[in-house]
Amino acid sequence: MDEFELLRYVTVGQYIPTGSLIHRLDPRFKLAAFAVLVGAVTFTGSYLGNAVLLVLIVGLVFLSRVPLRYVLSGLRPALPVLLLLAALQILLYTPDFTRGTNCTTLFQFWIIHSTTCGVKLAIVSAARFVELLMLTSLLTLTTTTTELTHGIERLFAPLQQRFNFPAHELALIVTITLRFVPTFAEELERIVKAQVSRGADLGQRGRLRFIQQTRALLPMLVPLFLGALRRAEELILAMEARCYMGGKGRTRLIELHSTRQDVVALFVAVLAAATVLLVPWPW
Amino acid sequence: MSEVVVEVRGLEHTYMRGTPMEAPSLKGVDFDVRRGETVALLGHTGCGKSTLVQHLNGLLRPQKGRVRVLEYDLNDPKVDVKALRRRVALLFQNPEAQLFERYVGDDVAFGPRQLGLSREEVRARVREALEAVGLGFEAFKDRLTFTLSGGEKRRVALAGVLALRPEILVLDEPLAGLDPAGRRHLVELIRRLKSEWGLTLILVSHDLEDVVLLADRCFVMADGRVVLSGTPREIFSQPPARLAEFGLQPPAVTAAVHALAEAGLGVRRDCLTVDEAVSEIARALGMGGKPWTSSSCCAT
Repeated sequence: MDEFELLRYVTVGQYIPTGSLIHRLDPRFKLAAFAVLVGAVTFTGSYLGNAVLLVLIVGLVFLSRVPLRYVLSGLRPALPVLLLLAALQILLYTPDFTRGTNCTTLFQFWIIHSTTCGVKLAIVSAARFVELLMLTSLLTLTTTTTELTHGIERLFAPLQQRFNFPAHELALIVTITLRFVPTFAEELERIVKAQVSRGADLGQRGRLRFIQQTRALLPMLVPLFLGALRRAEELILAMEARCYMGGKGRTRLIELHSTRQDVVALFVAVLAAATVLLVPWPW
Repeated sequence: MSEVVVEVRGLEHTYMRGTPMEAPSLKGVDFDVRRGETVALLGHTGCGKSTLVQHLNGLLRPQKGRVRVLEYDLNDPKVDVKALRRRVALLFQNPEAQLFERYVGDDVAFGPRQLGLSREEVRARVREALEAVGLGFEAFKDRLTFTLSGGEKRRVALAGVLALRPEILVLDEPLAGLDPAGRRHLVELIRRLKSEWGLTLILVSHDLEDVVLLADRCFVMADGRVVLSGTPREIFSQPPARLAEFGLQPPAVTAAVHALAEAGLGVRRDCLTVDEAVSEIARALGMGGKPWTSSSCCAT
């Protein structure tokens, strides 16, 4: 029924204040723990390891008191891509990515070569995708953009001193990107509604007529890009009008203070990642 | 009485339903429009008027309550919304953002082309629509859209929906962000659409502005409900305090006559225009005789 309510499915970049333990963590430690967990997800190739991570992440979602259903709703738009990816992996992937186990051929015909390894890869990468999306959603759902900026900036500060790495600018770019995801979803929704109201068709005629289908997107894309450029320009003007100079010599309004809680949280994340990565899961 | 073309009963709508950001927008709205009528929907930002009008061409479907527009029952999931959208045009707030073609003529032609009309028919409709909004067909069809002024862009966007030849036209905040000259021009244009095209018009506004005077009936919305309805005269003559309760600012003219009446001058409280107020005040002060107008007072 809500065919145009796009914002409903964008969970990345939203913030839901519940005041939970996860919300209150020091952003530096939260980011570090997040990075550790992302690492664990990326390098875990076994079913059991992924299952453990999934349970852990679901536990974190419960701890954050953000409804699990809401976090999972962000998966919906990605579902077609996930299915396509899985299909390709099952049908075409042959080499053994877990080294050590043997692949058994299930089915072979022309270029299609389906093996047990392909099936495993499909399942594991789908699980990874779900885990990564949930982690990212969880981070932004429980952290305000200001906190994120401070966290990123402070984490990269040593690099800035040593190698002149633009930590502040990086933090700013990340913040702006995340901040504008929901805005653009909202804007796209408005544009789609406006064009549909004057006769636009969301490309339903002729499944295989790609040129026509792409052309049918132009009425949405052109205004969206124009709007994005206009917004960027306005943002630049607003920043310049306030004499924005970047990070050099700036002091902070909010100083971050870490507590024992934060250290424990990071420790738990490292422990979990180490367990998942070092234990030789049987399958 | 002509037929009822829009009938809304007990309509409720909640945005982001089923998420933590759930926000109720409509809490039981009754609303109807007859053919050929001009209706104004008034209310403060966030009162639900934009949500209501999005139900009228099927952009939103009723979550609770009934919506019927022309012969289309929006409660029926299989209703042909595409056909409905050809007959009910909706122009969003700040519609100049929806222009996407390089040339004005092409942008206006977008709707008719989507209908699959012949070249000649499309051309005729673009000509008709551009002339209707006061932009000459020959002068404007080959102009680049991005070179137009804000007011011209808005008129091109309006032409874009008129080219669909709708029966019902919904204008969401048609005057927002225009300068006084642009506003006057657009009010005049809407008046012509009403009298010459015989369109059924639904005007959405957050302010008691000039365009509201074109309406036959007004509905005032607050907090997801219709709280007041009547002719513009009935609405404008409400005590300013009552209007303020619904987040509406009374126009300066009505505020002035209300203040005078409160102070004990025997004036009628339902003056809508400066001219009316001037002659009414003159009458009350015993300066009657010749009819007063603002122009005659300012000329001397």
